[in-house]
Amino acid sequence: MGQSFSGYRRPDGRVGVRNHVAVVPTSVAAAAVSSAVADDAGAWARATPHQLGTSQPDAARRQTERVLAGVGRNPNVGAALVVELGTEDITADAVADRIAAGGTATETLTIREAGGTAAALSEGADRLDRLNEEAQRARREEADVSELVFGVECGGSDATSGIAANPAVGAACDRLVEAGGTACFSETPEFIGAEHILADRCVDDETRDKLLERVDAREGMAELMGVDLRGAQPTPGNQEGGLTTIEEKSLGAISKGGTTPVRGIADYAEDLPVGGGLTLMDTPGYDVESVVGKVSGGAQVIAFTTGRGSTTGNPIAPVIKVTGNPKTWEKMSNNIDVNAGTVFDGESIDSVGERVFETLLEVADGRQTESEHRRLEEFAINEIQPEELEAEAGA
Amino acid sequence: MSVPSVTGRTFEGVSRDDGSIGVRDNVLVLPSVICSHIVADRIATRVDNAVSAPHDHGCAQLGADNEQTRRTFLSLAQNPNIAGTVVVGLGCEEIQSADVAGELESRNVPVRELSIQGVGGTDECVERGVDAASDLVSSRRTDRSDATIGDLTLGIVSSDLDASTVDVADPLVGHVARAVVAAGGRVVVAGNERVVAHSEAVRETTDETARDSLDDLVARHDGHPPRATRVGRFARKRSFEEVTRSWGTRDVSEVLAYGERASVSEGLALVDAPSRFGEATTALAAAGANVVVHVTGDGILAGHPLVPVVKVTGDPGTAAALPDDIDVEAANADADDLLETLVAVANGERCRAEEHGLTEFAITRVGPSM
Amino acid sequence: MKGRVLDDALLLLSESDNVGTTVDDLGSGTEVDFDGRTVVLSENVPFGHKVAVESFSAGDEVRKYGEVIGTATQAIAAGEWVHTHNCESTRGRGDRAAAGGETA
Repeated sequence: MGQSFSGYRRPDGRVGVRNHVAVVPTSVAAAAVSSAVADDAGAWARATPHQLGTSQPDAARRQTERVLAGVGRNPNVGAALVVELGTEDITADAVADRIAAGGTATETLTIREAGGTAAALSEGADRLDRLNEEAQRARREEADVSELVFGVECGGSDATSGIAANPAVGAACDRLVEAGGTACFSETPEFIGAEHILADRCVDDETRDKLLERVDAREGMAELMGVDLRGAQPTPGNQEGGLTTIEEKSLGAISKGGTTPVRGIADYAEDLPVGGGLTLMDTPGYDVESVVGKVSGGAQVIAFTTGRGSTTGNPIAPVIKVTGNPKTWEKMSNNIDVNAGTVFDGESIDSVGERVFETLLEVADGRQTESEHRRLEEFAINEIQPEELEAEAGA
Repeated sequence: MSVPSVTGRTFEGVSRDDGSIGVRDNVLVLPSVICSHIVADRIATRVDNAVSAPHDHGCAQLGADNEQTRRTFLSLAQNPNIAGTVVVGLGCEEIQSADVAGELESRNVPVRELSIQGVGGTDECVERGVDAASDLVSSRRTDRSDATIGDLTLGIVSSDLDASTVDVADPLVGHVARAVVAAGGRVVVAGNERVVAHSEAVRETTDETARDSLDDLVARHDGHPPRATRVGRFARKRSFEEVTRSWGTRDVSEVLAYGERASVSEGLALVDAPSRFGEATTALAAAGANVVVHVTGDGILAGHPLVPVVKVTGDPGTAAALPDDIDVEAANADADDLLETLVAVANGERCRAEEHGLTEFAITRVGPSM
Repeated sequence: MKGRVLDDALLLLSESDNVGTTVDDLGSGTEVDFDGRTVVLSENVPFGHKVAVESFSAGDEVRKYGEVIGTATQAIAAGEWVHTHNCESTRGRGDRAAAGGETA
């Protein structure tokens, strides 16, 4: 053990593996300006455009705010610009205060005060330059592998995901947890049919009860809408890839978290512990929203397994793509970082897991992933829907 | 104010096969799922006269949401401002790009289709998408024809119920809406919170043939909190007359589901879309709007990729704060001024949002992501 | 790889499984030795899909990873392709509840 990487130590003690300047709109009304101002600045500026936040029910607004603050507080963020139109329920000051509480250099930009789109773009550029100067003072220093929070995701799954890519990433999670770090996987609908296995691995009753309750709630949504979950899970691509039922998909999906005890389950975008072992997060199975939940929780690096070939990334955290499908590797290696399809030629899961773990350390050290190289930075916030609020109120 | 004169107000539009008139002539690059939206954006950025419509949907949704998203895609591709569509998929998603393209083809819409997984990755998909979009751009019809405001399908979204909106901006827009209907045109309005809060009153002035669809709309929202929270709250506090001033008329000819195309040839159609600007404007474009008026007390400034959006505010503070973003300050304009602006924009003049080039595209949703 | 590969053709992830996963595209007629018994594929089965290694009656549990992944919706003979046409999930079935009038 004692493996290390070099990262940016932040004032709150956490360690970043990137040094981005985040441009965070508080609402959809500031999203286009945020993207434009970041695009004009260069690759160091990363916008997180989304479609929420102008006027939402309270619970939904609180979740949006938690995500926005979490994104800005992610240790990969060296400084943050929070942008608002100026009439939103979520104010730039409120989000900026939460980000700055961790010691991150933060500024706000109000489009109405600046005098409109053109003026906001020009003022935004000035503020971003100042923030970047601030962020550039940070230097990489040695950090212990136990300081990594590693989020894992699967998307565009097929039968190879559960046989090769997920167990390999799971083996990497086991290594990290053994070394004292945190691994986090989520996608609650993909616990359905495998929750008994996870429940048996929970460290205490509280965690077990919370896990089972969250699985019930997600499964109950299908009932609430009067439809078959099969309308969404497994997807057409999953089915074409050999996955017949959600249970089958879930049993393959949970192996991506490895085999260590489940130490806790966080809410969507809630802070993940550093040095916390295997921690779950309650998120939808929708990849982009799910990855954003974990990044808002503080994950610095994401591993994303795919059978069919999902290409999505994230603006704040590097995403390592792993496929277990040899045909997908052959066809889409431009978008994929690790080939786990070698399992079908006889490479052991453990050996592929070691390659994933080494890739994790290299990426933490600064190596660009394929999705980073191509600036594939999909971003979306999970919105709590009226049906969910009613289900909660009725529960 | 009286109904403004429509004589002499003509513009040059693009005639489509179905008889509708486009006021823009762009190719739509439509991602079938969130996972392909960056690729769609990159394709559109590289091709003149191509626009993209990035959204958060297309997978991990249930029942009514899948149907709604798919219906919206199909209708958007048939918007009169759109000359052809490139559907870009990832490959494994719920709403399959090939299926959407097949359906469009059967409706005689010029269409190309490709998926990231199908062509072997994002780089290749961007290259082939650029070729497909360029191909559609160069095969656009160039027939222009003189059109009148009776050829407009005017979309209206009034995204708040502030006093300045209700008392100043909405009435102004209502006059213009009345002029469009009087000239034989169509008006489509979003803002289901207003309809739900006053469903009995709306029912009384709704054509008998549209009452079932109205009842369906009301039933869909029964007991659900509105998506636009503030508008929903104010809609209940204000009278029916106050919340419908932007409609121009209260004679409702048709009630449309989100993403559905208007079928009446003239008159007023209500669209089951919330007042949130992006979600509303997408529904209006799907309904067939070739131009949209957005009443905004706040000064929400983004445009929309499919339709030019004329921004109207009744709030002097907003007009002063955002002088380059607001097209018409309602307090200093009459219906003739607004109609003149609309006709100029229909004739090709850029509205403020087109000048700064920032757009917002969103599709509403029924249930949560799975 | 976890589990046991039969004849370089079918992966049995757990000894209690009654379906195997193909490790390549397999043609109809492919013979797979399963502990002295021969399972003959009755149709082409693509890579990653499942083949019955035992026969099922409608309603029988389908097992993979040593766990139940669904139930057979019809009789399935050993060697047949097992997928959505003859196997279904028992979870998240809001449609059944709706049909039974159980939802609000």
